[in-house]
Amino acid sequence: MALVSRVRSWWRGIRHRSDIERGMSEELQFHLACRAQDLAERRGLRPEDAMRLARLEFGSLEKYKEETRASLGLALVDQLHGDIRYALRTFGRSKGFTAAALITLALGIGANTAIFSLVDAVMMRLLPVDKPQELVQLRLQEPGAEPGGGFTNALWEAIRNQQDVFSGVFAWSTPKPFDLGRGGIVQTVRGLMVSGSYFTTLGVEAAAGRLLTDDDDRRGCAPVAVLSYGFWRTHFAGTPGALGSSISLNRQTFVVIGVSAPRFFGVEVGKAFDVAIPLCASALFDKRNLDSRSRWWLSIMGRAKPGLTPEQIAGRLRVLSPSIMSAAAEPDRNSERQGRFLRTVLIASAAAQGPSELRRVFGEPLILLMTMVAFVLLIACANIAGLMLARARSRAKEIAIRTALGASRGRLIRQMLTESVLVSALGAGFGLLFARWGAALLLRELATARNPVFVDLSLDWSVLAFAAAVAILTGSLIGLVPAVRFTGMSLIAAMKSSQSAGTERRSRPRAGSWIVAGQVALSLVLLIGGGLLLRTFVTLLTLDMGFDRSNVLVVIAKAPWFAADIVKTPPEQRSVVYDEIASRVRALPGVLSVARAFTTPIGDDNWFTPISVDTRGAPAGEDASVSFNFVTPGYFTTLRTPLIAGRDFDARDTKQSTPVAIVNQTLARRFFSDANVVGKYFRKPDRSTPIEIVGIVKDSKYESVREPIPPTAFLPAPQAPPRGEAEEFLVRTSTPSSALIPAIQAIATQVSAEVPLEFHTLAEQIDDDLVQERLLATLAGFFGALALLLATIGLYGVLSYLVTHRQVEFGIRMALGATPGSIRRLVMRDVIVVVTAGVGAGLAAASVAVALLRSMLFGVEPRDAATIVAAVCLLSATALAAGYLPARRATRVDPMLALRSE
Amino acid sequence: MAHQADLLPGTLDLLILKAVSLGAQHGYGVLLRIEQITGGALAIEQGALYPALYRLEHQGLLDTKWGTSDNNRKAKFYSLTAAGRRRLKAETERWNRSALAMNTALRAQEG
Repeated sequence: MALVSRVRSWWRGIRHRSDIERGMSEELQFHLACRAQDLAERRGLRPEDAMRLARLEFGSLEKYKEETRASLGLALVDQLHGDIRYALRTFGRSKGFTAAALITLALGIGANTAIFSLVDAVMMRLLPVDKPQELVQLRLQEPGAEPGGGFTNALWEAIRNQQDVFSGVFAWSTPKPFDLGRGGIVQTVRGLMVSGSYFTTLGVEAAAGRLLTDDDDRRGCAPVAVLSYGFWRTHFAGTPGALGSSISLNRQTFVVIGVSAPRFFGVEVGKAFDVAIPLCASALFDKRNLDSRSRWWLSIMGRAKPGLTPEQIAGRLRVLSPSIMSAAAEPDRNSERQGRFLRTVLIASAAAQGPSELRRVFGEPLILLMTMVAFVLLIACANIAGLMLARARSRAKEIAIRTALGASRGRLIRQMLTESVLVSALGAGFGLLFARWGAALLLRELATARNPVFVDLSLDWSVLAFAAAVAILTGSLIGLVPAVRFTGMSLIAAMKSSQSAGTERRSRPRAGSWIVAGQVALSLVLLIGGGLLLRTFVTLLTLDMGFDRSNVLVVIAKAPWFAADIVKTPPEQRSVVYDEIASRVRALPGVLSVARAFTTPIGDDNWFTPISVDTRGAPAGEDASVSFNFVTPGYFTTLRTPLIAGRDFDARDTKQSTPVAIVNQTLARRFFSDANVVGKYFRKPDRSTPIEIVGIVKDSKYESVREPIPPTAFLPAPQAPPRGEAEEFLVRTSTPSSALIPAIQAIATQVSAEVPLEFHTLAEQIDDDLVQERLLATLAGFFGALALLLATIGLYGVLSYLVTHRQVEFGIRMALGATPGSIRRLVMRDVIVVVTAGVGAGLAAASVAVALLRSMLFGVEPRDAATIVAAVCLLSATALAAGYLPARRATRVDPMLALRSE
Repeated sequence: MAHQADLLPGTLDLLILKAVSLGAQHGYGVLLRIEQITGGALAIEQGALYPALYRLEHQGLLDTKWGTSDNNRKAKFYSLTAAGRRRLKAETERWNRSALAMNTALRAQEG
């Protein structure tokens, strides 16, 4: 109440300032007039004399007015107003300083805000849905295993029918690539398959038309689709005509019934959708989506009933679990696995932010980047503080005069802080613009053509609050040191301040030296971190992957797994079509070789099966798992993976011939502890006939660049198990391969109009796998270089200043016979002390900080000696060079000039 | 007028609230009324009155309105708000309690 009236009165004071001033004057005049009248009546004075007496009695009008303003809380406002005007005038007078400070801060605060806006969007923001705090995600906790978030449709239906703790529960599939085209080159859109309760439970509104309901999601449902707002705008230009029109998704026709709310992107942070269709319609793509009890493709979230505690929900779910699990159990499992399945319980975890793969993978790197960029800002602050310090020195006289005129120390500090906070606030303003651009740029770096990333980067309060907090903090940091130092000094010393060589003056620039030592330390930490990440990336880039990625085009001809039914041709006939395409492509000019495989290196697919061999002591159980690939003859030639022993597959290896395999060196070593395994056999659980090893190839990466190479077995494509069809083409060309895309497309269409084709290069496929490493290495390297540059500038600035201030001293020394060399040594000794102290502190800090990096490194230890030595050398060399220039200038002092300036 | 006592700190606000509680007054009127109700025993700096009045208004204890004075001049009139009335009551009680305590304490020393 009192606060409200105070704020209101304060606001009135600011808004209607002139009214208040006028009122105050009138009121005091009225008082004086009344008093004068009283005095005149009481003592019989003449009106002029009475007035004079009244004024005399009252005292200084201005003093009381000032006190009155203060009691309205306006004095602070007045002073601030004055300080800001004064600060702006000062900026105008030192344009160079202001520009340097503004640019540095805009970049520093901007970079921090950019990274923070990503941290905020990926790690902190709540889902843009109704009451997100009530949402929980369901997981399956199998005894003795990590909880898993995947569900089969059977489990989803059992949960939906049996649960009684949620006011609403829904299932969805992560957005999948849907083909908008009707054959030929795939036009990918991001398709979401959701239960009918998805939109209603989340409380998402329709922007046009209507959204899905439970009635849309019954087996055998009509194919309907909801568009995301963004897709509606880009693809249908946001016209109402979109409603009721039909679109082709994976070659099935869907009718558009509505558009979801503008800011709704789904529930997974990092992914967005273009179209959403009901779960029941997924049967049009592949019947197994609904019927298979071993297809784990759904995630489930629920909205807790009001009043239920998490413990109550967990307890009830535990009770319900056995009947849910048995309703969804696969009949033909072996008893041990079945037992584990039936003992699995449902657990629920808070999901107000939504699940996020992006958060899981980039959470740690983002925090690391946030730390690094904060360090850079600190270093930048130190530079500006150094500049402010130098400027404060040159303003010593002004400060002394103000003190002499009665300004209190607190008042002076406040005025100087106003200046620095004003600079940083202006810097933050520009920084915010830079941040918007920077964050979008970062996000583009994270995304790849095959793996789009969507993060809602719209400005929100937490980002603005962050920028404001950083601005105030940096403003105080850069202003406080000079303010405190220069308001506390003796008046006399300041007033007679010239460039005197007194001992007191000599000691002062040392404050700057310690700031520089701090900068050196921070830069070293950043350089070492950046160096380690850079080495990681280079290691990964130059790693021998066992194949040659240049000039290889990957052409994926298969429909995605969840839409296998849309290709009507049975697999046997498909391979005939593929063979025909391959032979025609082989005839194209520029094509060196063509092969097909089930999966390509560092691709999206994998196939693991345990094998057994007759060797004693060979791995068994989980350890016996082997990566498989099913390939046509020429696969190894196309990838340039050397065949070490035995033969490649050829036309003799058919469906009916002896089962054969080519294995990699790891498999040979691990299962046979023998280099020459050609002619030996292994068994696969799904086949009774043993498989003969006919060749050994060099080890090559299978699924990811960072993985240790798994034992791998290659089978000839005709002998592949069902669903292991080789439908990815590898085309080695003599020139950059993208130019061949139209020709291959034309051939495929001629042979069969049905084949959907997706093109990318093998190099792209590998680049996509290294997004995180590339981003980290680039940014960490950039921040490290920036830190080095800033620290160098800081050192140069402080030393230049120091040398200028010691000119007289140097002049005297030289007059007394000091050689230029000895003067240089004098200055360089300071440099060496500062740099050594900084490097020492930096090494100590780095030894702790690199622990943060451990999980992000590859092929290099966190305390990699080479990196540390290189960083120390680079930093010291740069710092010494920065110090040498002022040192040399010190020796150019003309003794006479220096002495005369006294 | 010879034996004017100095004002104890913090008492001016209370006196103003009391003076205004007896009826809306302009600044000079408040001064006269305080002199009147204290029998002129307390010295009040004329100028100090205004910062205090503005402060009380700022705190929402006083309401102001421009009007015409007895001598037909434009003047700003102060009156007590509900919050002001509550504050006056609370402060009066507090004052009485501490005055009583002081009196008791001082008497005990004498005896």
